[in-house]
Amino acid sequence: MNKKIAYVLGAIALLIGLWGFYNRFAFGDENAAYGSIVVWGLWVALYFFFGGIAVGCFIWASLDLLFEIPALKGTGRPALWAALVNLTAGMAAIGLDIGHMERIIKAYLQPNFHSGIAQDVWGYTIFGLLALIALILAVKQPKNAAVKIVMALGLVVALYVAGAPGKLMGDNATRMYWHAGMIPVQFLFFALTTGAAMLLVIRGFFGMADEKQFSVLNISAAVLLVINLYFVWAYYSQSLAGNMPDLVNPINAVLYGQYSTLFWGVQIIFGAILPIVVLTQRRVAGGGALVGLMGLFILLGNVVARYLILIPAQQVELLDGLSTAFTGRGFSLAYAPSTTEWAVASGLLGVVILGLLVGADLLLPLFTKSQKEA
Amino acid sequence: MTNEASLLDKYTSEVFAGMVAPVLEGMNISAAPADDPLVKEDVLFRMNTELKRALEKPASERRWVMVIDLRRCIGCHACTVACIAENKLPPGVVYRPVMIEEVGMYPNVSMKFLPRPCMQCENSPCTEVCPVIATYHNEEGIVVVDYDQCIGCRACMAACPYGARTFDFGQTYAEQLPVFEGAVVGGKTAAAYEHASQEYGEARPRNGKHESPVGNARKCHFCLHRIKDGMLPACTTTCIGRATYFGDANDSTSLVTELINKPNVIRLKEELGTEPRVYYIV
Ligand code: SF4
Ligand code: SF4
Repeated sequence: MNKKIAYVLGAIALLIGLWGFYNRFAFGDENAAYGSIVVWGLWVALYFFFGGIAVGCFIWASLDLLFEIPALKGTGRPALWAALVNLTAGMAAIGLDIGHMERIIKAYLQPNFHSGIAQDVWGYTIFGLLALIALILAVKQPKNAAVKIVMALGLVVALYVAGAPGKLMGDNATRMYWHAGMIPVQFLFFALTTGAAMLLVIRGFFGMADEKQFSVLNISAAVLLVINLYFVWAYYSQSLAGNMPDLVNPINAVLYGQYSTLFWGVQIIFGAILPIVVLTQRRVAGGGALVGLMGLFILLGNVVARYLILIPAQQVELLDGLSTAFTGRGFSLAYAPSTTEWAVASGLLGVVILGLLVGADLLLPLFTKSQKEA
Repeated sequence: MTNEASLLDKYTSEVFAGMVAPVLEGMNISAAPADDPLVKEDVLFRMNTELKRALEKPASERRWVMVIDLRRCIGCHACTVACIAENKLPPGVVYRPVMIEEVGMYPNVSMKFLPRPCMQCENSPCTEVCPVIATYHNEEGIVVVDYDQCIGCRACMAACPYGARTFDFGQTYAEQLPVFEGAVVGGKTAAAYEHASQEYGEARPRNGKHESPVGNARKCHFCLHRIKDGMLPACTTTCIGRATYFGDANDSTSLVTELINKPNVIRLKEELGTEPRVYYIV
């Protein structure tokens, strides 16, 4: 039943997405709402989000396939598949975002390794290849020692690419809101949290009840959420105390301004506090749909968290009067994703949902195995 | 002739001098020195001569700088428009906006105007972040964009502390106009002008929504294509207040060298260490 509903939702999301994809391919970036002031919008946030889930899933998979933690037995392969599916969505998001996606080959052939984007392109490519090899090996020859070697290599790369998108933003010394050393570290914890959340969704909605496994996953997710909250407190409180307008203004917009509902409602209450409360209850230690739902809430909270790091920093005037010095497409400090951007986001979500389900049903018998079978 | 009269004679019309001189009676104002570079001839002639002189040197020995006298800028936006016309910039793309700020409280209110071309930073954050080396310093030190190399990731735009880059979303001014076949007006004729950009010395037609420079980051390049042919940048020649100066700062006798070596000269966000090549006289 869960699966049927998920298939329908995935198909609807993808159908909406097809219109967005058509729009993007036919008209380029013209129908997107990002511009010359807010230069990175929803699709970049989704790139960070899906890429983060992918990396997080891989790191979680390593706990099973590399470190052989008994309680997590059987999570490795579904986590690897989830990593690949999310990575595909993340790369599609950034591919559609850039003005000339057909030229991405240049980032391999003529890279500038000082650039965070070039580092991301290479990092994610190596990561994706290692994740793919690891999954093939884990499915075809699970006992082969090569699984561990590939997982170990992949883990090193995963730890790097988990923080790399945060570094990409932090490289911009001119944007005080991003230029904080803790952003890449925060991104690593975002990745770990969303990886755990993805497993909660997969195992909660489609897996077998397994108390030991859910105890580990539930408590880990809750602890990671507490760490995320700690990051938010540390960053915002010290920035507010520093009282530099370029830093304080975006934070005020998040805490008390136009983003306050998203921040308090979605990121903090639904995306963190509610899951912490629910996941630490003894009653949900056996898994089930409620745990899956908490996983979804955590993911939702995280995509909002990424968005609220990405967008407000760009809504600071770089020079007084710049945003009103000229008019026209993209010359505004305001940003709300356009219909095309939402449609593409829906399509990417559809890709992830259907990708996970197809992986479970057709390609690899991944999700429904109990830990004894796995 | 008194000091005041001689000063006013140099800088203003006789009528104006006659009106103002009585007010200045008794005030000690010294006349501009005889060698004041701004009073000898129209500065455009001088800058043109110096430009040609600079072009005789090897490219790497030139150091192009722009100087903008904020005291003379009246916020007419002629430079913005001249740049748009020269580089055939589409809607939403601008290389040299003029920022306007109202300062003070009534009755002490005034306007500040600040034209902002690309600063052509010597330590440019924009070039560092480009993943494919599509934007770089050319041999004259000007930061350029290779439109065929640029992937349109907009990292350079996020990195620029001066907001000096805009993205080309593929719009045209002429696309909404009705087409009158064979007429001197209408969409087709307008498009022919709009599409005839000579930026970077490349004849680059504007075709559809996908061909560069559509989908690229764009920026001021000090009109390199004009400089090459011995012409000053379009903003410089168009400025009606003669508030913009351009030249080779490696030429110790050039106008810009004289202007930038004064205490009342600033550069924007100097504390960042970007070493802009655009100076402002305040
Ligand atoms: S002003 Fe901006 S675009 Fe121009 S060189 Fe400096 S950083 Fe680059
Ligand atoms: S938009 Fe173009 S020039 Fe700017 S960083 Fe990206 S590839 Fe380089």
